[in-house]
Amino acid sequence: MTDDQSHRPHHPVPGRPSGLGRRRLIGTSALSAAGWIAGGGGWMLAPKRASAADPIKMGIATDITGAIAPGGNANWQVAQFTVEQINKAGGIAGRQIELFLEDTASDPKVAVGNVRKLIQERKCNVVLGGITSAMRQAIKDPIVNRGRTLYIYPQLYEGQECTKHLYCTGPTPAQQCDKLIPYLIKTVGKKRFAMPSANYVWPQLLNKYARKVIEANGGEVVFEEYYPLDQAEYSATIGKIRDGKVDCVFNTVIPPGLQPFVKQLYESGFQKNGGVLSCVYYDENLLNYHPAQEMEGLYSCLDYFLSVDDPFSKQLQADYAKKFPDTKYPFTAGSASTGMYRGIKFYEAAVKATNGDLSRDAVSAAMDKGKIEQGPGGGAEMVPGKMHCKMNMYVAQCKVDAGKTRYDVIESQKMVDPKEC
Amino acid sequence: MSIEVKLAFDVLAFISVMVLIVLGLGVIASMMGIFNFAHGEFVLLGAYTVYLFESFGLSAWAGILAAPVVLALIGLVLERLVIRRFYAAPIIAMLGTYAIGLVIREIVRGLLGGHYKSISEPIAGVFTVFGVDVSAWRTVIVLTTVCIVAGTWLFLARTSVGLQVRGSLENPNLARACGISTTRLYAFTFAFGAALAGLAGALIVPLYQLSADIGTRFLVQAFLSVMLGGVGTFEGPVLGAAAVGGMAAGLPWIVIPVLADPLVFVIALIIVKLRPQGFITQGRL
Repeated sequence: MTDDQSHRPHHPVPGRPSGLGRRRLIGTSALSAAGWIAGGGGWMLAPKRASAADPIKMGIATDITGAIAPGGNANWQVAQFTVEQINKAGGIAGRQIELFLEDTASDPKVAVGNVRKLIQERKCNVVLGGITSAMRQAIKDPIVNRGRTLYIYPQLYEGQECTKHLYCTGPTPAQQCDKLIPYLIKTVGKKRFAMPSANYVWPQLLNKYARKVIEANGGEVVFEEYYPLDQAEYSATIGKIRDGKVDCVFNTVIPPGLQPFVKQLYESGFQKNGGVLSCVYYDENLLNYHPAQEMEGLYSCLDYFLSVDDPFSKQLQADYAKKFPDTKYPFTAGSASTGMYRGIKFYEAAVKATNGDLSRDAVSAAMDKGKIEQGPGGGAEMVPGKMHCKMNMYVAQCKVDAGKTRYDVIESQKMVDPKEC
Repeated sequence: MSIEVKLAFDVLAFISVMVLIVLGLGVIASMMGIFNFAHGEFVLLGAYTVYLFESFGLSAWAGILAAPVVLALIGLVLERLVIRRFYAAPIIAMLGTYAIGLVIREIVRGLLGGHYKSISEPIAGVFTVFGVDVSAWRTVIVLTTVCIVAGTWLFLARTSVGLQVRGSLENPNLARACGISTTRLYAFTFAFGAALAGLAGALIVPLYQLSADIGTRFLVQAFLSVMLGGVGTFEGPVLGAAAVGGMAAGLPWIVIPVLADPLVFVIALIIVKLRPQGFITQGRL
């Protein structure tokens, strides 16, 4: 990934008492949308109303700049949105939430120092954030062990994170595979799988789990192969897909390597000849990274899709659109946004349960039994002792109408077990 | 059989992409002795020009034609303001152009919000020749590359401006003594190299989708190509690009893909060790 630390601005933009200038800076200007205002000094969003009790300090550590910036900015917007809703409704146990942002800059080396600020200078009660697994690995120690602070990780990921006081609110491999793969094999009727993958930890561990599910359901993995993240030419892979008579590509290649792969796959006539492409992290936003015809028929499995028929989710989208009109960073499942919403709501529920006691052990104990009734795609429930949550999962397929892509939800399952720890 | 032909064609198309990208870099490095680390961002700006044209509802073809013109102008301005101060210090030139590239890349990243943008091919789809489905846009790229390489070679080898450029390369003092304005020629050469980069970016962006890092991905391999082919000639970098592109696309057939990338470098470095001056040793242009 790119090295973004050298060109970050060195002028901190202090939080201003009024939300006006700040809101405009974040919401509309193209340059600030890339997060250029969140520099080395960090940034805070104070609640507007004065409150009798001290505010709860919530730290957000996410990738405002660098390669993961689209995901990080979406996360930050969802965090502001969710916290504003909670504060408007009177806060948690009578206390407002104060938000602090630190840019992790898509670079774990930069992140560690910045995250430490949230802990040591801001003395945050809880930290949410991190998108890539490398980032989680880098910042969990300064937060959880040395920082003795509660950490919530919002992204779908490869599983196997069982650190105490670290709660994962995104889907795990079991949640993404247990419904989708049997569906592909039994209902769609595809048996011969190829696993082209980007060469890092998430695809490796996800594939390990997916392979088990494929084989348990009578399918077969023809090849599993790893590529450099920015590979630009895939004719060798296309050749193997053709030679191996693959009828289902279970893809974990990620952008920027993904676009040339999908194009070459499409040009080879794979889909035309009955092949099926599935990509479990692909949400509505990522569909736009490709020409529509290349995405048609793609299967995904996530905790939320915009087309999920749920009044609460629809209202949430409407409110989000009101706060961030015409945003570049939609509230979708693939970029940890749904996990961010869920994480903040879990924290809210936990602090309510402790009656405002913010000590880590008390909140963590309440989190462990946490439950939220509603959220994007439905409610969620922590599995006690496992630090992961049950949530609704949806299998969806991409359809194209007049050059526009959308997901149609095909199957859903309520409260799917994360099967972790 | 047909799939093998098709995949061989894909490899040829990738070689063409490499040659297109390296051409501008090679021209500037060979003719001016400047290793332009902003070359990847010139490619990016070419791609971005097409995106801008599309988002204003204009035809992508207009964008592709405009990209080299826009980049020539940007190149000209940059040469006049910045690059000309670097001629005496090639190392500083590398750092300076790297800085320029960084500024361009991050501005574009900001404008794109860090997203990837899909640019569709002006000629989409495939056509069938002797039972083989061939991607139309890859065909356009292969043909354009052949034309550009031929055109550039004819221009440098057969026109009087080309002769002046080559003369200034061989002996700038003598060229100036003969009444050739080397400053103007250098400005022109840099703009020309930038224009080639812009055209390359405009042509390849439908294959890869626009992102701020589209140029960086190719930059290191492009430098390797120039090194492999030999600085100071026109054919050298082109041959080097063909070799590097062919290896990058061909090696994943033989070894596991994560090994292919480093292997390209290992092989190239061995060749450079055996032929330190590159494939073409004589500065014949």
